[in-house]
Amino acid sequence: TELAAQGVNTRLDITIGNEDLSSVIKKLEQKANVAFAYDEVFLKLADKHTNAASYQNESLKNILTALLKGQEIGFKEQAGNIILYRQFTGRISGRITDESGQPLPGASVSIVGTSFGMMTDADGKYNISLPEGTYTVAASFVGYTRVESANVTINGNQVTTLNIRLVAGNQLKEVTVSYGKQRIKEVTGSLTQVDAAPLQDMPVMQFAQQLQGKAAGVQIAQSSGQPGRGVEFRIRGAASFYASNQPLVVIDGTPVTGSINNMNPAEIESFSILKDASATALYGSRAANGVILITTKHAKPGDAQIEFNANYGVQKIPGERVPKMMDARGFAQYMNEKFADSRQYEPGYTTATPADYLNPEQYGEGTNWYKLLTRTAPIQSYDITIRSAREKSSSTVMAGYQEQQGVLINTGTKLFSLRINQDLSLSNNKLKIGFNLAPSYRLDHNNRLGTDGVGGLFERIFEASPLKSPYNADGSYNRDTYSPGMVAYINPLAQFNLTNDDYKTTRILANGYLNYEFLTGLSIKTNVAIDKGGETRQYFQSGVVTSTIGQATGTNSSVDNGSYTAEANLVYRKSFGDHNFEALAGYSAQKYSGTNNTLTGLGYPSDDISYLTAATSLSAGNSTYTAYSLLSTIGRLNYNYKGKYLLQGAIRRDGSSRFGSNQSYGNFPSVSAGWVVSDEKFMDRFSFLNLMKIRASYGVTGNNFFPGYYDAQATIGKYYYEFGGAAVAGQTINRLANDDLRWERNKQFDLGFDLSLFNNRLNFTYDYYHKISDGLIMQRPIPKASGFTSILDNVGAIELWGHEFTVNSNNLTGKLKWTTNLNVSFDRNMIKNLVSPGYIRRNNTVSSDYFRQQEGHHLGEFYGFVFLGLYKDANDLANSAKYGSASDVGTIKVKDINGDGVIDDVNDRTFIGDPTPTFTGGLTNNFVYKNWDLNIHMSFSVGGKILNAAKWAYQTNLDGSRVMLAAAADRWRSPENPGSGVYPRTKTGTTAMGRQVNSQWVEDGSYLTAKNISLGYRFNLGEKFLVRSLRVYTSVQQAFVLTKYSGMNPEINFAGLDPTLGIGVDENAYPIPRTFSFGASATFK
Amino acid sequence: CKKDFIDLTPKDSYTDATFYKTVDQFKQADIAAYAPLRDVLVNDYFTSEMRSDNTIYQPYPSNRGTAYLYRESISNFTNTSTNDYVNAVWQHCYTGISRTNIVIERLKTTDFDAATKAPIDGQAKFLRALYYFKLVRLFGGVPLFLKEVTKTEEAFLPRSAADAVYTQIIADAKDAISELSAPSKFPQTGEATKGSATMLLAEVYATQKKWADAETQLNTLSAMGYGLNANYADAFTPGNKNNKESIFDIQFLEGIVLGTTPNPLPFHFLPRSTNTSIITGININNSSTGGWNTPTQDLINTYEPNDKRLDASIGIVEGTYNASDLFVYSANKSVIGYTPAAGKMGVPYIKKYEHPPLIAVTGSSDNFPIYRYSDALLLLAEAQNEQGKSPLTALNTVRSRAGLPATTTADQAVLRDIIAHERRVELAFENHRWNDLVRTGKAVNVMNAFGAVLKTQVNYLTPDTYNLTANKLLYPIPQPEIDLNPGQMTQNPGY
Repeated sequence: TELAAQGVNTRLDITIGNEDLSSVIKKLEQKANVAFAYDEVFLKLADKHTNAASYQNESLKNILTALLKGQEIGFKEQAGNIILYRQFTGRISGRITDESGQPLPGASVSIVGTSFGMMTDADGKYNISLPEGTYTVAASFVGYTRVESANVTINGNQVTTLNIRLVAGNQLKEVTVSYGKQRIKEVTGSLTQVDAAPLQDMPVMQFAQQLQGKAAGVQIAQSSGQPGRGVEFRIRGAASFYASNQPLVVIDGTPVTGSINNMNPAEIESFSILKDASATALYGSRAANGVILITTKHAKPGDAQIEFNANYGVQKIPGERVPKMMDARGFAQYMNEKFADSRQYEPGYTTATPADYLNPEQYGEGTNWYKLLTRTAPIQSYDITIRSAREKSSSTVMAGYQEQQGVLINTGTKLFSLRINQDLSLSNNKLKIGFNLAPSYRLDHNNRLGTDGVGGLFERIFEASPLKSPYNADGSYNRDTYSPGMVAYINPLAQFNLTNDDYKTTRILANGYLNYEFLTGLSIKTNVAIDKGGETRQYFQSGVVTSTIGQATGTNSSVDNGSYTAEANLVYRKSFGDHNFEALAGYSAQKYSGTNNTLTGLGYPSDDISYLTAATSLSAGNSTYTAYSLLSTIGRLNYNYKGKYLLQGAIRRDGSSRFGSNQSYGNFPSVSAGWVVSDEKFMDRFSFLNLMKIRASYGVTGNNFFPGYYDAQATIGKYYYEFGGAAVAGQTINRLANDDLRWERNKQFDLGFDLSLFNNRLNFTYDYYHKISDGLIMQRPIPKASGFTSILDNVGAIELWGHEFTVNSNNLTGKLKWTTNLNVSFDRNMIKNLVSPGYIRRNNTVSSDYFRQQEGHHLGEFYGFVFLGLYKDANDLANSAKYGSASDVGTIKVKDINGDGVIDDVNDRTFIGDPTPTFTGGLTNNFVYKNWDLNIHMSFSVGGKILNAAKWAYQTNLDGSRVMLAAAADRWRSPENPGSGVYPRTKTGTTAMGRQVNSQWVEDGSYLTAKNISLGYRFNLGEKFLVRSLRVYTSVQQAFVLTKYSGMNPEINFAGLDPTLGIGVDENAYPIPRTFSFGASATFK
Repeated sequence: CKKDFIDLTPKDSYTDATFYKTVDQFKQADIAAYAPLRDVLVNDYFTSEMRSDNTIYQPYPSNRGTAYLYRESISNFTNTSTNDYVNAVWQHCYTGISRTNIVIERLKTTDFDAATKAPIDGQAKFLRALYYFKLVRLFGGVPLFLKEVTKTEEAFLPRSAADAVYTQIIADAKDAISELSAPSKFPQTGEATKGSATMLLAEVYATQKKWADAETQLNTLSAMGYGLNANYADAFTPGNKNNKESIFDIQFLEGIVLGTTPNPLPFHFLPRSTNTSIITGININNSSTGGWNTPTQDLINTYEPNDKRLDASIGIVEGTYNASDLFVYSANKSVIGYTPAAGKMGVPYIKKYEHPPLIAVTGSSDNFPIYRYSDALLLLAEAQNEQGKSPLTALNTVRSRAGLPATTTADQAVLRDIIAHERRVELAFENHRWNDLVRTGKAVNVMNAFGAVLKTQVNYLTPDTYNLTANKLLYPIPQPEIDLNPGQMTQNPGY
């Protein structure tokens, strides 16, 4: 019993010499007073020898372990005896890879509960000798989730293979970066990765709509509801006045030269948004506004499947945002009062009230033009993705059809798209070849008409008289739908229905690449890409609605354009111990060219035949050719030490055809560094901390996207005159050359901080950036006495800076999974300098000179009079500055800025509002419970101002020339009846001030929009079904908008595609519809 | 290939480096310098005719947009330096000047022979003088651009003194006279001739009161073949363009095919209406373009009895204004002895440029006269009278064509008024009246008196209208020119 109690834990002192094992065992038996059970012959104890050793107060267990090591003998205590038995050694080996199957060198593999373990080699392989038995094998790598494989049996003299695939926490995932891929952990630039899969529920036609509010510092706004159009990007503020503020879009490594809205969002696997100079410098001259790298879907081995998605939705303009206009009774009442007031208060005014307005009570609502011209319209999309991949080849085919009818009648767009991605990997992965081909065909019907903006068709809806019917008694269209006193605009219903403007666009994006690793670590990568487009336009407007009655007009045009990009890079990767290098050198050439033929016909005998063959004369015609080219050399060096200290330097030199002949070339260098603090020893104690990284970058990028192709050259224009009874064509210079026009340069500094906590459940990223965009390109106004109005020039510099915060959190990981993404950015700007006289006006009016760019002010600050209310009474009028004879009691009173006692257009206008928001961002919450998922995505903007020109210049035109907001009925009529104090009186000749920009127009543009709410359910069907999984979902796009802004769309901030229109100006844009949709996606395996 | 790859020039047009090589290209560059004459004209009828007592506008109380306010304010003398229409005259004159500078400067570097260069250079110099003459009379001293602008910095010049501008105009006009030929035939082509330049120089001298110099120039014209048509109205018929009475016209060609240059002014000069076919013979909606340059009753009243020019120059369109302030035409009436039909009103319109039916809604083929031979005769009469010589031959040539009795008085002061009046009616609506009033020092008195009467007749004029001082004889320098060129570009007094 004593013995049993002690067993292998018995402690003893013993000295062992160089003797045979048989005698040593016997010595131990006596010394420790334990019983051994063994077969001496089978174990060949007499043939095995021990090394000399001396033990003091050591346990029998440890002594035996030491003595039996390498002797192929094991021991265990059983029923009071210590049994010695023959023990064999086995091996375990395998490979540790990441999700994509790439080996992970340096991963650690350990056998739980033992001291066995090792690091993987350069190929991610390990090989461990182990005694027979059953073990738990653990694999881990920084940034990856640790994997333990239990019940791994090792048999003697056998090799057990165990490959382990580690799943990365965020920071070790590879992301697409310029010219390649990189692990997030090693990225030193400011980059946001967005996975496209969760965005697929959105019933939208443009991928940009999916990205709204998804990434800090990336503002995306939909400035118009035109089908398939009107989405704008701003990455870290608008850095240009005149050149494009849109980022460069690169699809699978190919920069896109034209429009990006022919891309079916369903083809996209992921987005990488590059924001700072180090990340974008490799795109040099085109990267000043950031770069969006799009990776399309490519099949991976084991991925064979067919996926089918269908989505159908209905769109409707949110009713609560539509301006409440006067109806027929209200407008007749208003006009009746207006004429009565004029006769009562204006000496000499004798005009009788027109018969139409004499008895307002006879009218009800009248014609509701808004209802007639808008509709609930369908939006639908269907796509199929077929993926198959073998070890060495992969093929992905995606076909899609999308259709969006406009919420304005008789508008819509359809897109047919196909993408084929073929990849081959040969010669032990040393040779990779691929071809991507993406043809698309788009049919645009009336969705490029001038519906938006001043004089646009959408504005006209609110300007037609509710007293008038759109039709004549015989059912034909009534052209003149204005009431007495109103401007003679043409029936908008007839305009929408009798105008046909169809564009048919064919586009082929194609590229082929070849990567070959011809020496270990040294590869060549080549890529040739083509972007080919063709477009025809068929425009016809019936003579019923043309500005000249009866003059039906038709235009037919065709465009043929294309660009190619050819690139070759050499990449060399090498590690010396813990020093890892990657060097890249490359060369790239890009050329775009396009031809455009247009003919306009007049004199169509009827509306029946709308082709030019029916026209009796051709009034205009031209054919043009445009081209630009870009030639670049690039170099990049990445270095890291132990993956902990990261350094990157890059330079690109670009030559562009778009600049002055003296300034064709530009250099775009960048440097960046990172420190993975969490990899330091001293951080080990913070076990909750998975990653902490500090990074910084500085670099220069450029901008060569500005309107026109040869605008730095003086071209010869045509000017017709007449001599001797015949037309003669004159020709001379039509614009000034600027041989010194140079790149717009964007010098950007970025400081970033990444943190991952609690097993990567909480991720936090912060970036501070500061950039100076100098050499801003703009049409610089010059004195007209020069014979020219402007010259394309480098006009000044703007400073932009900001803070960006992103939090990704896995709040709940159990049965109910809940993740949250919040991003907030604070963007600021200041115009540092501008050419003389230090400011650039929008234009030379007072009615649409909405903003001016001025030194020491923010970008696009609104400019106008300061509204002080209405002149209350004769005393107020007498003691206030007046705007000539247009000021009277009850009219708009503005501030006398220069204090000279009179109001004038030149001296009494000032800055009245800043359109730049205080902060913007997005919030996405995703819930998964069992088979259910719920996604709520919101975006917000706080503090930006909007200039509501649509409301004040058009919808409150108190001279009665347009229908007004119902609220304007509560205007000043007399001192006894002063109304709300907002709307002035209608006295003849005094209402013009209401249409001059003043501070009354400036509103808070803050908003919170529920961009998308979607709810899905997944049916997991077993292997016996053809359909393996089926997910059905329903979603609401643009679910609600919380804003105090009184216009239709607080996202108007970008006012159309032309940056010269400024930011935050609302000029009657087509509103964004709300979309309810239902969809299903099925996977076949 | 490296540099070539990014060295792109347009293939669909010339550039300044590839153009201006051949004689024909220089001729085309000259044609391009004529084109802005039309752009000047569509704005200058506000600044040179509606500014005077010859014409006013049709009020549009229900549309107070700036496009209307600006144009009305020129007529009312309430315009400011931000007036788009005044500023457009400035801009388009300078566009023309810039095109002439390009021809004149670049022609110097060619090796064409002198006989080839002369007509090209002469036309450019004539046009440059004409544009500068328009500018200096409307704005006073202006920046004197004489070289092609090729760089940003060259676009910023200070104002020159008016005298310096006049010196340049005279030099250019003299060059043009020596380089250009007299019309080789009538009808002429419409190009500037020795006669055009001679007339221009004479008017410059008249403006400077260099009467003898003016007379010398004017006396050379008859030898060039000019003469009066039998009928006053014949001078304006599109079928009789560039006849012997025409010294220089702005050319127009109707039609809707490419390259035609129709004259839209006939619609601008009619009351705003959705249908003007009673006058134009074609359904034209001029509700957004019309209502301007309406002959005043003051002018109508000033024609002598039996003056054939009244009926040839002015017509009456009868109808009613609807509540949208659009005129519904009901009849085309003669101005002679006109009384409105019951319930109707008559609006006078400029008849000399209305030749219906038009073939297209884009405009007519009516040329717009800059200089006619009757202008030369009346200027000659004025030059003679101012020197104490008898002006009667020249004066009575014009009067007798109008069906009026010969003037016989020898009193210089009386003759001065007769000649001025004769110029007013003979040259009505040809953009001479305002300049004549300023040139003869009568503008302030005449226009204040005119305005005082007008205010009693119409209800749309506010008290600040028609308050002329000497400062209003010049227009303000366009505000954007001052804003862009601070320090160098100064404003005229009173603005």
